[in-house]
Amino acid sequence: MSKLIQHSLPVTSTRSPLLQFLRFRGKINIQRPKEPHYERARVIAVTQPKYPQPVKSLTCFQTRAERTKAQLENPYNEIVAREVRNWLNHSQLVAIFHLNSITADEIYQLRVQLFKQNMHLKSYGRKIIGQAVAGTPYEAIMPLFHSNHCIVFSPDQKRLSTLLRLTRKVPQMVLIGGIVEQTLLSRNELVAYAQMPSLQVAQAQLVQTLNQAAGQLVQHLQAHQGNLVRVLDVHAQQGQAEETATETPKDAATPTES
Amino acid sequence: MSIPFSGTLRRSGGIVSAIGKQLKSVNLKGVKRITVQFDPFAENVKSTREFLFLLSTPKVAQTNPKCVVKPDIVCNRQPASINFSLIETAQEQAKVKEIRFNSENLSTLELLQLCNKHVSSLAPPEEITNKVLTKAEKQKLVGGAGGKKGGSKKK
Repeated sequence: MSKLIQHSLPVTSTRSPLLQFLRFRGKINIQRPKEPHYERARVIAVTQPKYPQPVKSLTCFQTRAERTKAQLENPYNEIVAREVRNWLNHSQLVAIFHLNSITADEIYQLRVQLFKQNMHLKSYGRKIIGQAVAGTPYEAIMPLFHSNHCIVFSPDQKRLSTLLRLTRKVPQMVLIGGIVEQTLLSRNELVAYAQMPSLQVAQAQLVQTLNQAAGQLVQHLQAHQGNLVRVLDVHAQQGQAEETATETPKDAATPTES
Repeated sequence: MSIPFSGTLRRSGGIVSAIGKQLKSVNLKGVKRITVQFDPFAENVKSTREFLFLLSTPKVAQTNPKCVVKPDIVCNRQPASINFSLIETAQEQAKVKEIRFNSENLSTLELLQLCNKHVSSLAPPEEITNKVLTKAEKQKLVGGAGGKKGGSKKK
């Protein structure tokens, strides 16, 4: 009899609602779960997933790092290394400085001043620079990056004197070496290069030196004649001076007579 | 069978904390001028360069603002050296005019330890200058002097 009554749909019946609320505002418990029934626990135990493990013989002699593969080379290092190589290849002037303790404000002001002169102040880590220059002719600059450093790149090597002038105002930056036109220079050589005259002046000096040999020969040949001419000239001038000296007293005398 | 305890109860913080600890006790009051000479392309200049950097930090520079740290770059592959020129009182105390470290085979920590041992100990002791008086102390002084005057004036 009760079963016949149950045949009616729950929605239509007025007594039991569709939704039976089990919880009202209380917090649910997930920290101290009830121990499952034995049957349920058995089913859970059987259905635990088993993941494939590496064969022990392969991993036996590997270190923990190798086994857990914690250290993976970051691919971004390669990108930055490529950028460094690009800067090195396209800069005629590369100056490397040792950097003492300096505030970010000061170095920013210097960076702006350098940028206005078309020079770019950069700093990279030693590992990345090592990666960038490995196998290239620039490998020789590696010893300079053991400590705190910064690099100035410029496509124009004539800016070296400007660079030295600007960095003289910043005592925390110490010039230690550089590359000018694909040639590695030490600090003293860089300073000497900065003080060298421009190419045109150097060419003029070369031309002067070359002409000097021929010029000296001509000078030697003309020496005696020139000397004689000069002596005669002096003699002639002295004779003229005496004549004018004798004439002027006569002229001075005549007006008084008249 | 138990062996008696041997070893440390606290672990060391590593080389960085050791350097930091030495750096805190560096005192350059007894030094007029420091010249750090090195060839950047020579071997074993890393410790010298690190030492130069550490000397240029604001905390160390503050111990003696008059002391000048001058880096001297040479190009003849000679071994690195650090020269401390002492002030007169320190010269009398140590009986030498300058102290020189040949830093080719010394690590940064060793350089700092030697610096603390030889140079920081020559710093002259600080003189107490111009102790600031509180209001109560000032009144006491003035009251002590003016009380007699006030007493004599009152008739």
